[in-house]
Amino acid sequence: MMDSCEGARKGIEEVKLKEDGNVSAQYESCQLPITCFTEIANDASLHFQIIQFPKQIYVWVGYTSAKLGNLCAAAHTRPNNNVSITSLIGGTSDNTGSGLARRLVLKTGLNVILACNIPKNSPMIEAEAEKILVQKLNSLGYGKSRLEGTSV
Amino acid sequence: MTQFVGQVDEKAEFPRESSSAISDSESSLLPMNSNSSTLPSPQFPVRQNHFSVLIKGNKTQIVVMSYEDHFQVIATQIGTMGTILYARKEEGVSMNPTFSVSVVFGKRDEPMLEACARQLIEKISLSGSSKPLVLSLGLKDHSTETLKGIISAVIHKGLW
Repeated sequence: MMDSCEGARKGIEEVKLKEDGNVSAQYESCQLPITCFTEIANDASLHFQIIQFPKQIYVWVGYTSAKLGNLCAAAHTRPNNNVSITSLIGGTSDNTGSGLARRLVLKTGLNVILACNIPKNSPMIEAEAEKILVQKLNSLGYGKSRLEGTSV
Repeated sequence: MTQFVGQVDEKAEFPRESSSAISDSESSLLPMNSNSSTLPSPQFPVRQNHFSVLIKGNKTQIVVMSYEDHFQVIATQIGTMGTILYARKEEGVSMNPTFSVSVVFGKRDEPMLEACARQLIEKISLSGSSKPLVLSLGLKDHSTETLKGIISAVIHKGLW
């Protein structure tokens, strides 16, 4: 009987901890628009995922696989509002994602976090992916006329 | 082309017969270029779960994604991804796993953010996965209460 009391007490404590986590039990739908789609180009799958934040976009481009790839960040920066890019995870100074991220910033004026697993030295695939992505971003309402460049 | 727009259901495990389920949520389709196939596209390969929760009075948007080789979690209250952390389980022969956490973008002087990543990667490891975690935290405050709330919500709705 003592064991069962101890077990009950532990269970209550565990529940209490969860309650003290100050997380409302109410989970609502996410306000962030998330767009996922796949295009077949040159017999290969190009997967795209776009998460639209109010002041930023996150883009993932997957070439035939669902690996995250290299992650980089790009934005207009002071003092001249030029586009700066930095590699965050994986990649070197010349990986595919950097150029794509830079051009997305130029086209949209947004800060961009881009993950891309397109292999190096694949300019055709990169160009195809960029074309599809820009088309999609335009259809979502992004364009230089919509947004001013945001300095970091 | 297969397209999802807006809300994706929790733990969206896309069924093999994906075209009919997906077409319900499709809006405008991109025009196909000459190199694109018009064959039905494969199901989207990244599982994701996204929701909103109130933490300390702040509405928090959370997205959990499972890539082939990584988990990614985004939690934002400020409209951007904020600080990005990378956490992974280290290879070792010890019985007790060790983990490394580093800030790859953003605030590097907020230990609570790293603690949050550390908690989550340990949880991922305990669930049996060795995939690293990319965690983005764009929060209004870095209090213990807020971060506990984030951890609790993500663990509750995680994809591991």
